[in-house]
Amino acid sequence: MNLDWLDAFLIFGAFKVVEIMGLGLLVHLQLGLTRVANFGVVGFWGVGLYAFGVAHLKVDWPFGDPYQFLVCAAIATVAAAAAGLVVGWLISELDDDGTLVGTLGFATIVVILATTQQGLTGGALGLGGLGFPYDFGRVKTHEFTWLLITTAVVALIFVYAWRVHRTPHGRLLIAVGANEALARSLGKSATAARLRMMTVTSGAMGLLGAMHGVMVRSLEINSLDVGVTLAALAALILGGTARVFGAVVGVLLTVALFDIVIQFYLPIPDGWNTQALPVAREAVFGAAIVLMLIFRPQGLLGQMRRPALMRRLHGDW
Amino acid sequence: MTGEVVRPQILVRDVTKSFSGRVVVDVDELVLGDVPVEGLLGPNGAGKTTLMRLIMHSIPLDGGTVSLSRPGQRDVVLSSTRTSQMAGLGVVKSTQVITDFEHLTILDSALLAVTEARYERPFAAATDRAVRKRHEDEIRHWLDYFGFHDPLAVALSGGDKKLLDIVRCLLLQPAVLLLDEPTAGLSEDRTERVKAAVRQLASTGTSVVIVEHDLDVIWDLCDEVIFMAEGRVLLKDDPATIRANPTVVESYLGAGSA
Ligand SMILES: Nc1ncnc2c1ncn2[C@@H]1O[C@H](COP(=O)(O)OP(=O)(O)O)[C@@H](O)[C@H]1O
Ligand SMILES: [Mg+2]
Repeated sequence: MNLDWLDAFLIFGAFKVVEIMGLGLLVHLQLGLTRVANFGVVGFWGVGLYAFGVAHLKVDWPFGDPYQFLVCAAIATVAAAAAGLVVGWLISELDDDGTLVGTLGFATIVVILATTQQGLTGGALGLGGLGFPYDFGRVKTHEFTWLLITTAVVALIFVYAWRVHRTPHGRLLIAVGANEALARSLGKSATAARLRMMTVTSGAMGLLGAMHGVMVRSLEINSLDVGVTLAALAALILGGTARVFGAVVGVLLTVALFDIVIQFYLPIPDGWNTQALPVAREAVFGAAIVLMLIFRPQGLLGQMRRPALMRRLHGDW
Repeated sequence: MTGEVVRPQILVRDVTKSFSGRVVVDVDELVLGDVPVEGLLGPNGAGKTTLMRLIMHSIPLDGGTVSLSRPGQRDVVLSSTRTSQMAGLGVVKSTQVITDFEHLTILDSALLAVTEARYERPFAAATDRAVRKRHEDEIRHWLDYFGFHDPLAVALSGGDKKLLDIVRCLLLQPAVLLLDEPTAGLSEDRTERVKAAVRQLASTGTSVVIVEHDLDVIWDLCDEVIFMAEGRVLLKDDPATIRANPTVVESYLGAGSA
């Protein structure tokens, strides 16, 4: 494959776009449908990243890649899913404020654990030595291939989210989010519904974390930054929390704009990329969230359009 | 105790409930369901809604027990059962305050009520249409009956939401149906439909308990009437006797309306 035309930074920019899109889609299921406000996205993603890294580097597996990757990615997914189940259970009796503090607290705990468990994680120094689960020569080809594989995973997440809207499962999530007491009176266990959803979506966040670990080939404490949560939330809120395309549109207008368009196609002075731009990016994302919540809380794509969807599914009624 | 009753019954025993120190419900013993349709009367604030909520265990009891007896089945202590399990036991309640699921259409509500839990898991394979097929007849029956001409829309008016609440209850095929002011705000025509539906349901073995401010509905429908005031059950008798009772006339019906 001749990839000379492709800038390595562009691959990373695109990877970030795809990754945040995946997280945004999962937050859409949590916040947009079920009304669970998860402010600890980076925590679930980070559990996946670190579980993957530690499993990969600290365990002497009797087999090599791609099996080693698959096993470690499965471990990462299960670890994050378990975290989702536990956190979901801990916050199940709490109100919105409690959910916010609880999920934020969870993400903080993940950072603290990753920092203090030096023997496992390398602590603040981090750990190198992760790599791609294949080998065909050039690094750029590896990275580009990984971008494609991650895109495929995120496409699957999109299909899943899209399908959730069209199944009884999605209806239950919307019902539980909209009116928990009424859902209970219809015989629905609101808690079980939320826990299942949290387990599945958190597991997928963990898988994305593992995929991230492969791409950057190391564990770094700095990657467990609240910016991950912020980017996913900003994108989703901008696009529209209740729409499955909300995260897609939102990511294109936020992460893609900053990490691809501005970084590569605007003539900005050297040094800005590493210093001023990341700060400006977080400030703009934060401001975007605040402005949207004030002026258009339903996001650019607007409210859920259940009647239109139901007409498509049950038009012959 | 198993299967000694002829219709589903609810037994309320020594149930108390206070809000901020004020006793709102204090019922020594009350059997619901020894006749097909029972009316629950009492002035505003008598504790009717709270009693129904206590039966559904949607608010915690301060003391006492509520249990359910059904013909040929084991008794169940409702006061130690979760609200989300009530519908599975056949105990169903409509709400006094207009309530609905934001965003969900009328058909969504109906489908939600009938869908079994195994189809609602994250990776359940069944499509929405497959689930709909299983219950289409009953849903169509009730939506048509109450005149929902466009079930693919969201219920907008208070009356529609109120009726939809009743449709959801009916689709759950209740053994015991608690109706909290089901016809409040409904047109005369729709009120008649609700009444007819209640009669039909009761004739097929459901025990119905109905709180209603429209007394004509009570006198029309009920085989027995319970009179509550200040959290206590004061009277339980046939409608004619209740209607003539001076306490009821004075404290509830007001001069001249009996
Ligand atoms: N959640 C609550 N918190 C405080 N007081 C309540 C609550 N629910 C009901 N009450 C009070 O309990 C009393 C009985 O209310 P309710 O059961 O709704 O009466 P009814 O349905 O007979 O009109 C009223 O005085 C009401 O204000
Ligand atoms: Mg009431």
